[in-house]
Amino acid sequence: MNPSTATVPPSMSLQHAPSLFERFRKLIVVCAIFLVWELIVRLGNVNPLLFPAFSDVVGNLMRGLGVGGQPELWGYIWETLSVILQSFALSVMLAILLTSLALASTLAKDFLSVITGMFQPLPSIALLPMAILWFGFSRESLVFVVVMSMVWPIASSLTVGFATVSPTLVRLGRNYELGHIGTLVQIMLPAALPMMIAGLRVGWGFGWRTVVAAELVFGATGSTGGIGWYINNSRLFMNVADGFAGILLVIIIGLIMESIFLFIQKKTTHRWGTEAS
Amino acid sequence: MVNAHGSVIDTVAIENVCIDYDVGPAKREKLRAVEDVSISIRRGEKLVILGPSGCGKSTLLMALGGFLPISSGTIKVNGTPVSRPSMERIMVFQDFYQLLPWLSVLDNVKWGIRKRWPKMKKEEVTRIALKQVELVGISRQAHQYPNTLSGGQKQRCAIARSFAATPEILLMDEPFGALDAINRERMQQELNNIWSEQDQPTTIAFVTHDVNEAVLLGHRVMVMSSGPGRIRAVVDNPHVGKPSDGPEAVNLAAHLRDLLKEEIR
Repeated sequence: MNPSTATVPPSMSLQHAPSLFERFRKLIVVCAIFLVWELIVRLGNVNPLLFPAFSDVVGNLMRGLGVGGQPELWGYIWETLSVILQSFALSVMLAILLTSLALASTLAKDFLSVITGMFQPLPSIALLPMAILWFGFSRESLVFVVVMSMVWPIASSLTVGFATVSPTLVRLGRNYELGHIGTLVQIMLPAALPMMIAGLRVGWGFGWRTVVAAELVFGATGSTGGIGWYINNSRLFMNVADGFAGILLVIIIGLIMESIFLFIQKKTTHRWGTEAS
Repeated sequence: MVNAHGSVIDTVAIENVCIDYDVGPAKREKLRAVEDVSISIRRGEKLVILGPSGCGKSTLLMALGGFLPISSGTIKVNGTPVSRPSMERIMVFQDFYQLLPWLSVLDNVKWGIRKRWPKMKKEEVTRIALKQVELVGISRQAHQYPNTLSGGQKQRCAIARSFAATPEILLMDEPFGALDAINRERMQQELNNIWSEQDQPTTIAFVTHDVNEAVLLGHRVMVMSSGPGRIRAVVDNPHVGKPSDGPEAVNLAAHLRDLLKEEIR
């Protein structure tokens, strides 16, 4: 809640709404990168088995998505997305539960702070061998490592979010006789939303990296694999352009998610002027 | 004036109230903030609690709200001792951030009404909310979010929300203290209007350090002295609501100022 920006309508904020020109400029840069890629591969006589041309990659990607080919990629996309969405939901619930308990007792607070400090620096993919030991080559193993990568950044930003809720709002909640749950749901969570969204973004980023990495190592769970598995499989069969298409897909989905978070921010905290600056 | 004999028209009975703060490194020492305060607040009156900064007037109000424990004495509202915050005693703070930033002006007022009467019909909630929003003069801003309002408009919204819940008593802790001088004077006048436009006269305890504000708003003015906070005097104000430059108001203001000055010396 920055008082100096309190009266500035969101549309006038310079930081978050790039002008048309700025967007255009970025597009030019992206096009330039793809053009240089294409030219180097085509003119430099690069072995397409090592580094395929951009046009081949896009062609394979489109075919994989069903434009002039078998729409096989959608299955892999869904497989990966379903794992990460399930883990995301679990992580959010777990993070809210842990941080709410930390609000209620100092012991729980210390516990959360220690365990967050321990697990946050650990790349959770390092837990995959143990997860395989515990859960076997199953979906549970994947969900376990992805949750372990997501829950800590979400919990730690939610802790900060709760700690910075205005005491006046907490008093307001007490004045209107809200109980513990009521205060949490009606005051604390919405007031902590700016930090929460930041945490969800970071958490999602960690989880996305982890799920793709885990699939690379892991292969298919059951009958179907995810995008990571698809990338690794393409290398096995020397369908390098397919592998590149998979990588491009990972990037594109990451960008789409990022813009979904931005959209949510625009509809909530930007509008309320509670953006964490 | 000071003593209360449990008269029927009294809403609040404060008797021999002392409030201590725990201070010091291990919170072992006691600091007396309010000492032996006894006053009754009559139904439908505006009682102004006037005193210098740090005299314990806000502490007393917070205790009346049930936000702070008292060390001795009793605070009763309609005969029931105050033990915790309640919607019968709604507070209006000085802080501009007492509105829920994720709700529009109208929804903030509706939020309060819904908390008060969870089973009330939607149309009725909206009707009451609209009426209060109009009464405080922010109908045009009804669908704006709080971050787009000026300080005065935010306080108007908080006032609308508190009146809408029709509490037994409204506790206002320098609600205009952070406003600029022009806005403050306007809001003081308008609070009188808003108060008189309610279906039932609302009982208000209003804390301030501003003598003119006290004269304009208070049916009675309770002057507090500091260190620790005691009642210095309780002054009747027959000129409540009159312009502050009228002769009677000027005299009363001078009298109150003298009471405050004696204390400082």
